[in-house]
Amino acid sequence: MLNKVPVQQLEFQLKKDKLFDFSGTIILQGICGVFGDSGAGKTSLVRALIGLDDDYSGNVSFAGEVWQGTNYFLKTEQRRVGMVFQEPRLFPHLDALGNLKIAKHKNSLYTIKQLAKALDFENLLNKKSIALSGGQKQRIAIARAILTAPKLLIMDEPLSSLDKHSRALLLPFIKQLAQQIPILYITHSMQELFYLATNMLLINNGSVEAIGEPLRLFLDPKLSLAKHAHSGLLLTVDSLTWDDQNAMLQGKVDGQAIYLAIANTRQEQSLQIKVESKDVIIATQPFMNSSLQNCLTTTIEQIEQISASHILLTLFLGEQRLQAKITIKSLHQLQLEVGQVVFSYVKAVSIIGELP
Amino acid sequence: MLVDTFSTQWLSELDLSAIYLTLKLAGLTTLILLIISPPLAWWLARSKRFFRPFVESLVALPLVLPPTVLGFYLLLSFSPDSYLGAFWLQMTGSGLAFSFSGLLIASIIYSLPFVVQPLQSAFVNLDKNYLEVASTLGFSRSKTFYKVVLPMTLPSFIIAGALGFAHTIGEFGVVLMIGGNIPGETQVLSIALFDHVETLQYEQAHILSFSLLAFSMVLLMFIYGVLQKRQKRLYDA
Repeated sequence: MLNKVPVQQLEFQLKKDKLFDFSGTIILQGICGVFGDSGAGKTSLVRALIGLDDDYSGNVSFAGEVWQGTNYFLKTEQRRVGMVFQEPRLFPHLDALGNLKIAKHKNSLYTIKQLAKALDFENLLNKKSIALSGGQKQRIAIARAILTAPKLLIMDEPLSSLDKHSRALLLPFIKQLAQQIPILYITHSMQELFYLATNMLLINNGSVEAIGEPLRLFLDPKLSLAKHAHSGLLLTVDSLTWDDQNAMLQGKVDGQAIYLAIANTRQEQSLQIKVESKDVIIATQPFMNSSLQNCLTTTIEQIEQISASHILLTLFLGEQRLQAKITIKSLHQLQLEVGQVVFSYVKAVSIIGELP
Repeated sequence: MLVDTFSTQWLSELDLSAIYLTLKLAGLTTLILLIISPPLAWWLARSKRFFRPFVESLVALPLVLPPTVLGFYLLLSFSPDSYLGAFWLQMTGSGLAFSFSGLLIASIIYSLPFVVQPLQSAFVNLDKNYLEVASTLGFSRSKTFYKVVLPMTLPSFIIAGALGFAHTIGEFGVVLMIGGNIPGETQVLSIALFDHVETLQYEQAHILSFSLLAFSMVLLMFIYGVLQKRQKRLYDA
């Protein structure tokens, strides 16, 4: 039913004073996440890319069309990009329908009616925009951007301030939409990133630190990701079965059993969990008397110092990897070294599953 | 019939023609100002050029100067000896001084700040975010103006227009300097009133004065009504 969008390339070198120096080439197919800490320059990058800030020097081209070059600057309104800002920015003098009608382009893939149905705002169309809630406004703002028939859609943390209902509705929708329109999706949520993106731009300190597949970048100890609060990896849990007696979900990670305390509402055979590196406890011998349930046998693959007092261990499970953040004191006490087999106790996990 | 009785009893033919002339002058002045002021106000609100304060001061001058000073300079530039006056004479065959056209030009200059300033402050306060949305929606400049800027600043346009209109009706000094007192051509209401007082026609003066007072009051109430509504809207949003 859906045609894959042609692969398109976005190429840029953009510089502003000593603050920002972005450069990179991204293949845009589906969703490319733009990930980084707050203040790293994610929003600045996309604003410069689509021409909302014209005080950058350098060049930008998209799908063979030059957007910015030496003495050349194509105005934002001529770049045919859709933008969903962090806040909805609906025109206050128009009602919801007015906001959509004003944006509708004849080449739009969707009609207002289809979008109203897909994003569940059919009964809000005649409401003044000030009468809508934040989530309702943002759904309409997303529809408005799609109606302009953009060649590239940019979403700047569109879900960051939304209610659960809106998020649950929007995430699958955005994922599906990306099969028709390439999307650059700014987020600082690792769960959103892994749910949506097949490619990512890592922004750090005003420049592009890395471009690549999200999991690969998260596993790369040389990148800033490993040193930040979001260090922690995703694991796929398969062979799910429901343990009636203990009311827990049982599954396997690379063949090793794991128990998850979640409701049995799933039909799928597998799900994804995120294990924070601070939630992994390392032991050289199994604990006998403890409440810790999930113990995985792992091999130390890498030992890296990430601060004066802390070490990040990369632990190999067979196919997948875990990370554990321990103190240097523990490292010396346990005399850990690369290649050693250790028991990794997982204190807590968060479920990625279908939706963050 | 009623109007006839009223006019023959209360207002002389000359007074009526002065009222008509005043309304025509104020109407045309406002119309022209509403066309030229938005781009000027937009430029003043957004430009970062070094000579912007100079242009801004020039626009605001009529607020500060005694109208007679402005009138004096205008009179000089309207004379056939000056470039403007000579050019006008060549183009139209008639002089600018003591003519309705001259009065109109003078009124436009004199009332310019009253129209430009409310618009300028509205444009300064207009949230830049909405203009960014307009450009990401692919709007051209004119579409952005008509579909976003104008509806969002409409109360300021109404206030600007009403202020320009009211201010033109009330002008006296400039008209006296450059228009003189030619009935049907340059004798506006304020001049006609001055005439009545000078010739001790106090009853006529009363009638004209009171009409002007009542009219001004109604107009101001309208302006402040719009302002109040706008404030309420800002409060709601």
